[in-house]
Amino acid sequence: MSQIQARFFTEDKRYVVDDVPFSIPAASEVQELSNVINKLLEAKNASHSKVEFDFLVRGQFLRTSLSAHMETESILTEEVVEIEYVERITAPEPEECMMHDDWISSADADAEWILTGSYDKTARIWSTEGKPVMTVPGHTDVVKDVAWVKREGLTSLLLTASLDQTVLLWEWNSERNKVEARHCCRGHAGSVDTISVDPTGTKVRLERARQKLKRQQRTPLMTLSGHSEAVSSVLWCDSEEVCSASWDHTIRIWDVDTGGMKTTLTGSKVFNCISYSPLCRRLASGSTDRHIRLWDPRTKDGSLVLLSLTSHTGWVTAVKWAPSHEHQLVSGSLDNLIKLWDTRSCKAPLYDLAAHEDKVFCVDWTESGLMLSGGADNKLYTYRYSAQQAEA
Amino acid sequence: MKKAGEKTALKRSKEEEEEQNQIFNFNRKPADEDKDDDLSDSEDSVYSGLEDSGSDAEGEEGSEEEEEDDDDDKMKERTEEEVSEEKKEDEYEHDSSDEEDIRNTVGNIPVEWYKDFPHIGYNLDGKKIYKPIRNKDELDDFLDKMENPEYWRTVHDKQTGSDIVLSDDQVELVNRLQRGQFGDVNFNEYEPMVEFFSSDVMIHPITNRPADKRSFIPSLTEKEKVSKLVHAIKMGWLKPRRVEDDGRGRYYDLWASEDSSILARHRMHLPAPKIPLPGHHESYNPPPEYLFTDEERALWEQQDPGDRKLPFVPRKYSSLRQVPAFSHFIHERFERCLDLYLCPRQRKMRVNVNPEDLIPQLPKPKDLQPFPTTQSLVYRGHSGLVRSISVSPSGQWLASGSDDGSVRFWEVCSSRCMKMVQVGGAVKSVAWNPNPSVCLLAVALDSVVLILSPSLADKQVILSSERLLSAQQEGEEPAEGNGSVVWSEAEGEELNQGVRLKIQHPKAVHQVVWHAKGDYLASVMPDNTSHLQVYIHQLSRRRSQNPFSRNKGLVQCVSFHPIRPYFFVATQRSIRIYNLVKQEMTKKLQANSKWISSMAVHPGGDHVICGSYDCKLSWFDLDLSTKPYKMLRHHKKAVRGVAYHRLYPLFASASDDGSVIVCHGTVYNDLLQNPLIVPVKVLRGHVMTHDLGVLDVTFHPTQPWVFSSGADATIRLFT
Repeated sequence: MSQIQARFFTEDKRYVVDDVPFSIPAASEVQELSNVINKLLEAKNASHSKVEFDFLVRGQFLRTSLSAHMETESILTEEVVEIEYVERITAPEPEECMMHDDWISSADADAEWILTGSYDKTARIWSTEGKPVMTVPGHTDVVKDVAWVKREGLTSLLLTASLDQTVLLWEWNSERNKVEARHCCRGHAGSVDTISVDPTGTKVRLERARQKLKRQQRTPLMTLSGHSEAVSSVLWCDSEEVCSASWDHTIRIWDVDTGGMKTTLTGSKVFNCISYSPLCRRLASGSTDRHIRLWDPRTKDGSLVLLSLTSHTGWVTAVKWAPSHEHQLVSGSLDNLIKLWDTRSCKAPLYDLAAHEDKVFCVDWTESGLMLSGGADNKLYTYRYSAQQAEA
Repeated sequence: MKKAGEKTALKRSKEEEEEQNQIFNFNRKPADEDKDDDLSDSEDSVYSGLEDSGSDAEGEEGSEEEEEDDDDDKMKERTEEEVSEEKKEDEYEHDSSDEEDIRNTVGNIPVEWYKDFPHIGYNLDGKKIYKPIRNKDELDDFLDKMENPEYWRTVHDKQTGSDIVLSDDQVELVNRLQRGQFGDVNFNEYEPMVEFFSSDVMIHPITNRPADKRSFIPSLTEKEKVSKLVHAIKMGWLKPRRVEDDGRGRYYDLWASEDSSILARHRMHLPAPKIPLPGHHESYNPPPEYLFTDEERALWEQQDPGDRKLPFVPRKYSSLRQVPAFSHFIHERFERCLDLYLCPRQRKMRVNVNPEDLIPQLPKPKDLQPFPTTQSLVYRGHSGLVRSISVSPSGQWLASGSDDGSVRFWEVCSSRCMKMVQVGGAVKSVAWNPNPSVCLLAVALDSVVLILSPSLADKQVILSSERLLSAQQEGEEPAEGNGSVVWSEAEGEELNQGVRLKIQHPKAVHQVVWHAKGDYLASVMPDNTSHLQVYIHQLSRRRSQNPFSRNKGLVQCVSFHPIRPYFFVATQRSIRIYNLVKQEMTKKLQANSKWISSMAVHPGGDHVICGSYDCKLSWFDLDLSTKPYKMLRHHKKAVRGVAYHRLYPLFASASDDGSVIVCHGTVYNDLLQNPLIVPVKVLRGHVMTHDLGVLDVTFHPTQPWVFSSGADATIRLFT
């Protein structure tokens, strides 16, 4: 059996091994390599307990045997192969299931509270443990999107957008558990499908499903028009840039100071959702052709797809980057599945979460490693995601 | 195994050789004698005088005979002797061929050449072989014959002129050969066959000898030869064989001078048509099923001779001998001759066409993207078959009308039913007002057309649609033109549900359709007996009129031209196009199908597709002809609905076989270029219910998506 010279290294200080090349069988797979590392660590440190590792060869996760992987990636087997290893990401563990009265259209969570919007025309506030805290009625039609604005002590500001063409700004005091409508933002000539709050929490961006994006504080500050069809998703890239995805097959990036359009990224299918990761500075988009595509918003020419992640069998309705990991993202689809992806393993997702019994409409991911997903089966699932991985 | 076989074969061949040797030893002389026999038949007279001579040969023969006599008891010794003898023997003796007589070296020449000499040839040492002294006359011969018991086995050797007495073995051999048996008694001609090549596939090749090295390297000798030839060609020494010029002389056209008309007649000869071969019923003893029953016979007799299937009655006879003469023989021959004479024969011109060439060159479907390929969403909620669907001009909402008496409004992107209106009757048709500045839906059920305001749009839009509906009230009172159509406002519960207007028709309404501007609305009431089949309503003035004063057939569906003031009316077999301004018919399209079910007008207005219940989809190019430009027969069952996409060059047809077929249909501005129609996708998903499949199909206004509604109470979105 052929042997390959490999050198192992890691970023994780706890699991460092000597920097010497080893000769390992070419046919060895992840489990065997993991055993090798564990042996090495045990030899070095008697108190080492067994840890499962994942291996990266030139930035790609090893999923088959080493030789097969190197062949597909066309890496020469004569040289010493640099293999990076990281602790294996453990599967997200389902925690809570929160029953709603109707389909869940959107969810937004921060460290303490979860805010969900539902087709029963209300928004709800939940604690992260899954206890219902508050129901926010007020809209006359389906709530399509919700967002936390900011929190000062016990008082939080939150936003709900609805099909009734309004966005409501609410003030919620968690101690007294009282919610008050502060403002009603009007101005859209159509249902408001998506809103997003800028990172500093002062301006609200708000979206509409009809060709125009409006940016508001109380009255619209600015209207960003250019899309020829419904805008499906909008977000702040940073405090100067707004990014919007539309059914007219384009993603546009706008400058909020001037209100002008900076870049247009053109796809071939309808975009349902986008997400931006400040860590890797990439946009991820989910579209109706079942692919998740990664874009670089800084390119000027615009139509460059960096990577396609394909595994879903229905429309991708929600996509979210991990807030603390530059390679991971989570996606939800009409095929009832949530998938956890690592961009270093683009062929297959890390994990499929098949909790939902019906279409998935929203996913979210908090800094504290809590993943949320809600859909047409009226359930909001939360998953605990191993926290130490976030450090890595 | 093979080896063993080879070995046995080898062994066997050795044995054979030995046997042959033996046979050879024994037979050498007899063989010669044999030949002599033959020869003597013809040339006896020549050597008749020599017969007695050859005493030396006789001696030889005698000694051999003695040896053979000893055979029985002295087997061993003899074989030893044989072996030693064989060893002594010179190899040329074995080598000699049958026809060569080694005792006489003159060769195979006519013996009469030596007839004047005292000798008959030369022996191996070059000495003359003398003819035996001719001392035997006829009398001696006769005496010999009488007295000599060996006479019958004495033969004359012409080559040496000597008489030879055959031994018992030799006589036996001759007898065997004469009987056509093998010369050797011990030879077994039925030995089991040893198969060198068997049908079994074995793991080893017949020979494992590796191929020679020379098999892999180019031959030097060949190279030399070739280079010589090449050199010769270069130098001009070697020239290609000249083609013999045959233009003059050797071959000529025998019939050149013949009259060309005769030739032409020969060439145009048409063979007479062949009479069909006789069948079983013409047999004298046909199988019973070919015999006529009484009814068949009665029928046959009743029929006119020209109409009869058979010109005779099949009969059964026990043997051919009993078959009488065919009474109609002369008559039949005469008929045949008459046929040949009276029926002109025709030469059929057959053009050799490659079937591949007949298939038009169509682009590959994947080059025609985008078109819907997979089922994405299923809109569930109806409990009856969904007869009609319509998408709002913005593409955000979908309305559907079902047999369960409800109209539902769906959010396209989430398949959420946002609103349901119970209208209290099976909904035949729904149509969304194409004007984006109003939000109204026309619903046909029973004999009523309802105008619904679903309030699923911007407040401004809702307001403007309300204004459109109420505009008339401020104006003059509705002029009840013919009194058969009654407009009324909805009240109470219905108003809360969104019903705004009710247009009461005299008969059941089957279809409603809007004009592109959104003010006019046409409704269809199919009725064969009346001219009141189509009404055109004006919403803003609440007026209805019947544009047609005569009944031209059962109206199936109608449609407005998207741009110009034309009106399409599809009856069972044709589509009529009326100019609404001039109030006249401009064109009549013949659909070539039995019963039109649905029709759609291209957004450009110059093309029409119509589906029919006989599984056909016809595409009409209005500029081209009144006949279909193309007929597509892809569906297996009746086509129920057809639709064009507003922006993309796509059209779709829905059928009772449960499939929706999406076709690409590019229309060119250039009048000379015909539309390009390519079927690109068959979409399946609907479940067949009560023999009904897909009932309606419609496209999303902006995306290449297609909706279909089926008898299984679902609506499906394909993207």
